[in-house]
Amino acid sequence: MQITIAEKPRMETKETKPSPSVLEARGITKRFPGVVANDNISLLIRGGEIHTLLGENGAGKSTLMNVLAGMLQPDEGRILINGAEVSFKSPIEALEQGIGTVYQHFTLVPNLSVVENVVLGTSRGMTLDLKKAEEQLAIMQSHLDMAVSPHEEVGHLSIGWQQRVEILKVLYRGSQIVLLDEPTSVLTPIEVKELFQILIRLKADGVGVVFITHKLDEALDISDRVTVLSRGKRIGEVGSHELARQERESLSRKIVRMMFEECDLTEVHRKSTVDFENQRMCRLNEVSAFDDRGTVAIRNLSFSIRAGEIIGIAGVDGNGQKEMAEVIAGQRRISDGQITIANVDITNKGTAAAAHAGVGYVTDDRLGEAVVPTLTVAENAVLKVFQQTPFSRFAVMNHKAIEAHTRGLIRDFNVKTPGSWTKLGTLSGGNIQKLLLARELALRPKVLVCNKPTHGLDFMTSQFVLQTIRSQADEGMAVLLISSELEVLFELSDRIGVMYRGQLLEIYSRDEVDRETVGRLMLGIKS
Amino acid sequence: MRRGALIHSLVPLLSSLLAIFGAFLVGGVFLTIMGKDAKAAYMLLATRALGSSFGITETVIKMAPLLLVSAGLLIALRASVWNIGIDGQFLIGAGAVGVVAPRLAGVMPLFPMLIICGLTAFVFGALWGVIPAILRVRYGLNEIITTIMMNFVAIYVTSWLVKGLFRDTSVVAPQMPSIPKDWRLPHIPLTRIHVGVVVGIVIVLFLHFMFRRGTFGFSLNVMGLSRKAAVHAGISVDRLAILALLLSAGMAGLAGANDVLGVKGLFQGEWNPAYGFTGFALVFLARLNGLAIIPFAYFFAFLLFGGEMMARTAGIPVFFVEMLEGLMLVFFAVSVYFERAVLRKVVQE
Repeated sequence: MQITIAEKPRMETKETKPSPSVLEARGITKRFPGVVANDNISLLIRGGEIHTLLGENGAGKSTLMNVLAGMLQPDEGRILINGAEVSFKSPIEALEQGIGTVYQHFTLVPNLSVVENVVLGTSRGMTLDLKKAEEQLAIMQSHLDMAVSPHEEVGHLSIGWQQRVEILKVLYRGSQIVLLDEPTSVLTPIEVKELFQILIRLKADGVGVVFITHKLDEALDISDRVTVLSRGKRIGEVGSHELARQERESLSRKIVRMMFEECDLTEVHRKSTVDFENQRMCRLNEVSAFDDRGTVAIRNLSFSIRAGEIIGIAGVDGNGQKEMAEVIAGQRRISDGQITIANVDITNKGTAAAAHAGVGYVTDDRLGEAVVPTLTVAENAVLKVFQQTPFSRFAVMNHKAIEAHTRGLIRDFNVKTPGSWTKLGTLSGGNIQKLLLARELALRPKVLVCNKPTHGLDFMTSQFVLQTIRSQADEGMAVLLISSELEVLFELSDRIGVMYRGQLLEIYSRDEVDRETVGRLMLGIKS
Repeated sequence: MRRGALIHSLVPLLSSLLAIFGAFLVGGVFLTIMGKDAKAAYMLLATRALGSSFGITETVIKMAPLLLVSAGLLIALRASVWNIGIDGQFLIGAGAVGVVAPRLAGVMPLFPMLIICGLTAFVFGALWGVIPAILRVRYGLNEIITTIMMNFVAIYVTSWLVKGLFRDTSVVAPQMPSIPKDWRLPHIPLTRIHVGVVVGIVIVLFLHFMFRRGTFGFSLNVMGLSRKAAVHAGISVDRLAILALLLSAGMAGLAGANDVLGVKGLFQGEWNPAYGFTGFALVFLARLNGLAIIPFAYFFAFLLFGGEMMARTAGIPVFFVEMLEGLMLVFFAVSVYFERAVLRKVVQE
């Protein structure tokens, strides 16, 4: 099943004739300890169609994708390709049958070139005909309008481009079905648009595209068919007719109802004004710092946050937001300037001093930095306080007190876990984030720094997290909220600032600025 | 759930045992190739080392330095600090005691003298870890390389001192003055086993408790598992890394004191038992678990003693035991691979 896209005749559009079914899943069931991840799910993926799997985190999307990609073997159910039953023992077998997968975490070798990455693993012989591969790649690239030099080192490419190389990789292997696992979660808004254009071209070539997301807007933007999953079950499907004919508003309402049948949707309420008499809890004065590679990451940052105030920081990733969060949390030394928390100078005094002065930090690197996944829930819950009474006395940990504390956090924040002594890494991302937020708030911080607190979370958990932050601010906590999602920032912040190339361009009161202005500033365009 | 927990604790033990079995199997093949009777050799190993009170006593005596060295490695490896300089730190500690002990003997009562000797060895061993620790923390240099290099420095420094400044000029061989019999480590009553074993077991048990319940042990664990998380949690990782390396090196030094005070009675030139490698095999097979270290220390001591026996009676080179240890590590790596597969399967069920 070799795909040479340029020569392939275009598939007839589905208006004239239904496309042939390419991949069919029948009654897929997959169980993990204590949970049915996929419960009797059936699915029909046609060539020339973009089929979106929509659902919250934990709805079973990734499991289903892994089953289709050969990564997991279903406990029950069958997979058919063009009506013939197949079973995959590994992703390679799925690939050989024309099912290619682009994972959330890329599988590229950073110090190999684009073409080397694309051919990697395809040649069984002793020789490697890179020239021929390059020619083939060039045809594919020009067809898909992906201009990148085949000799470029992949590690030098942006995330968006790396993703495109991943797509080229599966196409080069002749995939007729392309599975994309949350491909937009790592992309900037512009890159998302570009990705969608690529997907539309693939569709036109008769490739079946499976697009996995938890973002409703994206699903409505691009899909020919939307399958809604919730708690491991297939809730329903919205077909091409409906998508084409119905109004977006009513469609969106219908799908939300499918996704959150039993949940009540509540808005996050923000307080209208902050009392300007309130104390300045966090004050940065002309702060500069370097990033890990030794280049200037933030430059002359000056601002302060009052008690009860939420300052939102917008910006495209990598413009110094993370470094800003880290200097306030004491994790990064500053080269210049001064930081005070509730009138205590914490400049370059380290993490412990910052925490002691009242800084809580919900980092965006949830699994890599915030917690130790191989330790238990309880151990992670006291990671920042285990040296204090009652969690330890005379350097000996008090497991009873630790467990009692953890139980309280689990209960108050509705963390779903089998118990306090379960390995944390087995929990879902949303539950880990809840525990993390619980842990930071248990420190009773005066200043809470949140970097992308809702990143990768499903709708309900996001709402919970945002509501918690808002209500804490209403009780007098100062909050620095960093996010690249403008919706979140505008929903929650009292003031909004924009980071661009390490500098804080402007801080607006929320009411005097609109999304467009902020969006332009994020790209460095000053009105 | 309970069944899962049982499997999770049994499977690692099984895979360690399997690694040992595999090493003996392949070792047997080598013996056969060498023209030796493998079965007879292993029988000899078993009967001499396990079947006689003499063998058991000797084995237990040999446990002491292994326990102390393993204690040091346990601290370092749990914190992901790779102290490969055990042998050098051991020699420096031994050398320091070789200098101090003969001069203290008779000057003060036995008990305080032994305490001072132990502390001296610990401090000097730890000193040998200072340079790698500073290089790691201040300049980011990999401690694996620096600690290995410090081994060579230790070998030649002690060799120079024993031939020069601290040489006992009354004998021909290069050695330091010997310690009078009454001023060495006392024996456990009714046995020939000196108390070093007891010290070793107590220290290992203490460390086990420390890693289970102690805040210091927990900090080291967190740092070892995720340095980033440790920084985030406000644990001062640089201070801990230094402490872990110094404590580890100090333990190695203490092992040196044990051998000088309990076994040899003096510091000899060209003497280098090199327990470091055995220690690594031991601690890895024991899965960085303090409790497991004790039986594994017995097993490795048994190998060391049995190896000598085999060399003496069956003409099998002493290096054979080292080969067995090497094979164990190879098989250990393989069995850990399979173990993961087994555990994954259990989890999926």
